[in-house]
Amino acid sequence: MTRPEITDKGTVFLVDDDIAVRRGVTALLSAAEYSVETSKSAEDFLSKLSSLDLSNAVLLVDICMPGIQGLELQELLKDQNIELPVIVMTAHGDVPMAVRAMRNGAVDFLEKPFTVVEVKTALDRALSMSRLDKTPLQSPEPALLDKFEKLTPREEEVLRGIVDGNTNKEIARVLDVSPRTVEAHRQKIMLKMGAASFAELIRMAIALNIDGNYLQ
Amino acid sequence: MRLALDDNDGSLTDQIIETVDTPIVILGPNGSIKRFNPASQKLTGYASDEVLGRKVWEFLIIDEEIDGVRAVFEKTRGEDTPTHFTNYWKRKDGQHRLLEWSNKTIHDRSGKVSYVLATGVDITDAQATKLQLSETQAYLMSIIDASPIAIITINERGELQSFNRQAEECFGYKAAEVLGENVKLLMPEPDQSRHDQYMGQYMETGEKRIMERARSVLAKRRNGEQFPAMLHVSEFKDGQPTFVGFIEDITDQKMTERRLKETQFQLQHAGRVGAMGEIATSIAHELNQPLTAAASFAGAVSLKLKKAEYAGCEDAIELLDDVVSEIRRASEIIRQMREFIRNRKTAKSLHNVNQVVQEAATISLIGAESEGVKLETSLDDDLGELQLDRIQIQQVLVNLIRNAVDAMKDCDEKRLKISTAKRVGFVEITVEDTGAGISDEMKERLFEPFATNKEGGVGIGLSISKAIIDAHQGEIFANIRDSPGTVFTVKLPEGAYDEARNHR
Ligand SMILES: Nc1ncnc2c1ncn2[C@@H]1O[C@H](COP(=O)(O)OP(=O)(O)OP(=O)(O)O)[C@@H](O)[C@H]1O
Repeated sequence: MTRPEITDKGTVFLVDDDIAVRRGVTALLSAAEYSVETSKSAEDFLSKLSSLDLSNAVLLVDICMPGIQGLELQELLKDQNIELPVIVMTAHGDVPMAVRAMRNGAVDFLEKPFTVVEVKTALDRALSMSRLDKTPLQSPEPALLDKFEKLTPREEEVLRGIVDGNTNKEIARVLDVSPRTVEAHRQKIMLKMGAASFAELIRMAIALNIDGNYLQ
Repeated sequence: MRLALDDNDGSLTDQIIETVDTPIVILGPNGSIKRFNPASQKLTGYASDEVLGRKVWEFLIIDEEIDGVRAVFEKTRGEDTPTHFTNYWKRKDGQHRLLEWSNKTIHDRSGKVSYVLATGVDITDAQATKLQLSETQAYLMSIIDASPIAIITINERGELQSFNRQAEECFGYKAAEVLGENVKLLMPEPDQSRHDQYMGQYMETGEKRIMERARSVLAKRRNGEQFPAMLHVSEFKDGQPTFVGFIEDITDQKMTERRLKETQFQLQHAGRVGAMGEIATSIAHELNQPLTAAASFAGAVSLKLKKAEYAGCEDAIELLDDVVSEIRRASEIIRQMREFIRNRKTAKSLHNVNQVVQEAATISLIGAESEGVKLETSLDDDLGELQLDRIQIQQVLVNLIRNAVDAMKDCDEKRLKISTAKRVGFVEITVEDTGAGISDEMKERLFEPFATNKEGGVGIGLSISKAIIDAHQGEIFANIRDSPGTVFTVKLPEGAYDEARNHR
């Protein structure tokens, strides 16, 4: 029994240099009823860009590829004023890269390997944004600011450390506390900010324009 | 009785006086010369008739001794027993000779002094030799005392016979305190208790335990402190057997050695960790891709099974969730490994750059591969200290030096030049070889992980080096040139790190 490929959930342009990843993610997204268009490189994607329908679509791109990299592709699209929400895929734990992509205008990031729930949440959010055609990164919502103000100075420091891509251990060393204390702070921050995931916390921090350059 | 002495009638006595090799002078009761035998004439250069009738102290005695000689003459005159005296004679040509005299008074029948007979031995030369000997001895003693090595001698019972200044310094005893003591006092246990046995064995069997070859031992200072020492024992016979021990305190040497060993160990460790880090980073990416694909496939199947037509597959869906979570775990392990390695942030402190470089060179050149390599160092004395992670920087230098040595493996001329120089705002370290140069295919990928053309090479040395130098906000590059050989340059900024680090 075959089902229609195109559904109203939206289109995902998947760019990844690894064929197994392309096949696997395509299978996953198809099963989740997205339509998927794959490219094996940024160059490949750009070459077919003109023939693509970019409405109700999202670009899911690996950040680390030979040739034009994910971040560069994002830049190129921005330069061409192409309104396409971008989700970058990073290696697990490569927060600095993710943060850079988010600053650059990516709407979200996914750490590989991801679960069905994670990828669906991210895609749906991005697609809804693409439909509303708005970028939430310009000015933080007042509610977010309120939450942020509830953080203690220590928690704020920890948050900056996290956004900067540091591990608990590194933050612990700079703040001269134990990694466990940092982890406790981290939990509190997530709670106070109402962030469901780490990616969401990062997203919020970026929306708040928290500049974390304090560790380097 | 008239003695046969004053008539030249050829009597036996007379002949003896005339022919003997010993200066004999016969004085009258008032000290005037009555007889001056040929030996005396020969010694002084005066002819007999030049001196007869004159008093000895009027011309033969040096000024300082005139009083002494007269006193002895008086004493001799008054006594029966012979007297002895040593004094100088002033020769006719002004030279002095030292003579040892035996004087005897000869009385006449009535008991009056008729003559004083003086027999002399010329000891000038003997005295000079004696003097020279004692000078030589003093000279040798001062050499022994100046020796930077402790020198002690013991007799066959182990009793200390001499203890030079360095021994005093080294052991903390004064020579006077220990001479005659048993040498065991300078040893810690178990040697202390065994030493008598060692000596006894040697004396009996001649079996040498430690003789004639240097070996490293523990010695004991007065305050009980033990220290590593090189000991060399020799035997010589001075009537009875005597043993000389040369003892060198090698505490400092040991410390330098230990520090080098430690550094070497730390470097190896850092090298392994660094290598792991590079590999982990590469693996993290390479392995994450199939893991992502697998998790996605599992997710896809799980989604499909949730469709109505597959009702009753809840078990399978749960199992697939397990698959995904195990995949996540695998990925997490890789992440942790990479993070653990990345976390080893530089631990910088002030270090003398030249010392860091020198140590790295020493460590790198240990081993057979570096045989035949001529090392030339040119270190800038103005360099001073720099904030750096010593082990990491040495790791870079060891990499560069080993690469250089490798590159010269098949070259006739193997010259390695390591230089440091102070430049404006930074310090420059260069490692230059006369090797084969960097191959074309290598040029572009030089600092990339897994770029190697060596058999058994992993190709991460330079990529780790680059990461380390980046962390020090420095630069590393190779001068690619046409002529054979390669120059690697490392630039380390002065102070840049500090500002960055302390800016929290
Ligand atoms: N001084 C040099 N002269 C010539 N070629 C060099 C020199 N230094 C490095 N190379 C080249 O660069 C390559 C990479 O060096 P790198 O130190 O990264 O790894 P490697 O020495 O090959 O292997 P390993 O990591 O196992 O030590 C070497 O294989 C060699 O071809």
